[in-house]
Amino acid sequence: MTSVAERDGKGDGKAGRMTGRTPLAARRDLGWIGIPLVAAVGLAAFWLLPDDLALLTRIAASALFVLSLDLVLGYGGIATLGQAAMFGTGAYAAGIVAVNWNNDPFIMLAAGGLAGGLIALTTGALILHARGLTLLMLTIAVGQIVQEVANKARDWTGGSDGLSGIDPAPVLGMFRFDMYGRTSYLFALAVLVVGLLVARRIVRSPFGLACRGVSEDPLRISAIGGSPKSYLVVLYGVAGVFAGMAGALTAVTSGIVGLDSAGFPWSAEALVMLVLGGTGRLYGAVIGTAAFMGIHHILAASDPFHWMGFIGLFLIGIVLFLPGGIASGVERLGGLLRGPSQNNGEDRA
Amino acid sequence: MTALLEVEGLSKNFGGLQVSSDISMMLNAGDRCALIGPNGAGKTTFVNLVTGVIPPSAGTIRLDGRDVTTLSAAERVRLGLIRSFQVARLFKSMTVREHLELAVLQRDRRTFRLFANVAKVAGLADEVAGLLDSMGLTPVAHTAVGSLAYGQQRLLEIALALAMKPKVLILDEPAAGVPHSESQRILDAIDRLPKDLAVLMIEHDMDLVFRFARTIVVLAQGRLLCSGTAKEIVADPRVREVYLGSRADAH
Ligand SMILES: Nc1ncnc2c1ncn2[C@@H]1O[C@H](COP(=O)(O)OP(=O)(O)OP(=O)(O)O)[C@@H](O)[C@H]1O
Ligand SMILES: [Mg+2]
Repeated sequence: MTSVAERDGKGDGKAGRMTGRTPLAARRDLGWIGIPLVAAVGLAAFWLLPDDLALLTRIAASALFVLSLDLVLGYGGIATLGQAAMFGTGAYAAGIVAVNWNNDPFIMLAAGGLAGGLIALTTGALILHARGLTLLMLTIAVGQIVQEVANKARDWTGGSDGLSGIDPAPVLGMFRFDMYGRTSYLFALAVLVVGLLVARRIVRSPFGLACRGVSEDPLRISAIGGSPKSYLVVLYGVAGVFAGMAGALTAVTSGIVGLDSAGFPWSAEALVMLVLGGTGRLYGAVIGTAAFMGIHHILAASDPFHWMGFIGLFLIGIVLFLPGGIASGVERLGGLLRGPSQNNGEDRA
Repeated sequence: MTALLEVEGLSKNFGGLQVSSDISMMLNAGDRCALIGPNGAGKTTFVNLVTGVIPPSAGTIRLDGRDVTTLSAAERVRLGLIRSFQVARLFKSMTVREHLELAVLQRDRRTFRLFANVAKVAGLADEVAGLLDSMGLTPVAHTAVGSLAYGQQRLLEIALALAMKPKVLILDEPAAGVPHSESQRILDAIDRLPKDLAVLMIEHDMDLVFRFARTIVVLAQGRLLCSGTAKEIVADPRVREVYLGSRADAH
């Protein structure tokens, strides 16, 4: 994700000056407006699309998962095709806890987040010395291993039949998961919004700043005394918590967990959704997920055989004409509306 | 008194090419030393060896009496051995201010705070403001480094090194690419450094060297040719031949 400003790094600063782009994390996540917007649109959808709550719920839970990928890729520069390992682990952990011990939805979320974080920390410590293609292979391998373990541990996970019979208790003991999916959706939306708030807090923290440094130039981080790998491992662990919670959220709202929740296609799909929406912005993950799954839903109903082709064309179009994803288009539009005098990063205190 | 930095018999070869051979030198607290030599003499390589960016083929490096030869670059930084890069090496999408915040936070080991707000870390804003001011970077504090003039990037590179509160500071051609009017700023900043700090500066601009250095070390073809006070170096015929001579040829 090289920006123009990055490419003409050295040499005369004048050429660079004209291409300066929004440099601050605060700007890239749309400042204070992005998250309330997600909440508002989410609530509006609840009233406007009462028949599609199942889809909307899946979008919200998936967006949390894609958000975890954005933390890893967009803020840490870690290329991964194995993020579903954490999602699947979290989903199974939540499901197993619910079936065997406690079906409170918050306990399930906590179990999923804990499991996702732990698996990410341990595997991250083992594989994150690698970079590029090697790392990509290793992340895929981790995903395969998790899936295989889930497959073998039939007694706990139900193996290839999946883990069913998850019946979460009412939220806060008050709101039962109704057959129309209203509680499911509002619960998922609330978790997503809280997830976005926490993620924004993290990317604006000293830790988030250091991670951005690592993703740009690990050697320069060493030159100021930091250890690039430890930042990456912790970031990977934090993102693992998000992914695990997303898995748990899916378990809570759908009542089942299957082997595909840890599978390679799910990791790859998350990557597609993130690139579609735009990396390194947090809310890009939500836009990308909604766009991808929304288009999928509409096309799969009207043209079940060719929808993947349409998605492909759409993706090619985005990559060619909006390299920063849909979110960058939104930002450009916002820039046009605000007038021509901005976009140098100097107008913000 | 032990030397702050002590290098003994440092050698490096890349394949068959001997880039550093048997270099020994030391820096004491308060030293202002210039390392000069023609292009390709191995000055940057020497800095890379001392700071741990590349491993030496032979030799030892001691920092404040402690053998750091096998320590990583980051560990040496944490012990106070700081360098600036000959070619500005910065995070292109970060603002000037973010660079200094990151450096100060890293120095104080406060970078693993996941839920703190950078804008609210105690003392950070003031210290960063001071650093910005010392290098005249306040007006561009919120500009992304990718769209900064090169001279200003160099100033930031120095500010970043200063932010680390070094014990030993190595500046690799700090004024290269900086307009003459601005290079004074760099010297001023170096003048204001704590007196007990040891500074080694690599520089081609002899004006700067004479203004800054009390001692000069000359490197040629990877070897230590001679060292001494500025006066002695200027008078040394070998230096004229190897260094000043080759510079004159280049023009
Ligand atoms: N990684 C490397 N592999 C092979 N040769 C190298 C490597 N790094 C440097 N060299 C060679 O070592 C010699 C010394 O290079 P170095 O950059 O240390 O010189 P310098 O004194 O800093 O020069 P300048 O004044 O131009 O900055 C050069 O001939 C260079 O080509
Ligand atoms: Mg050099």
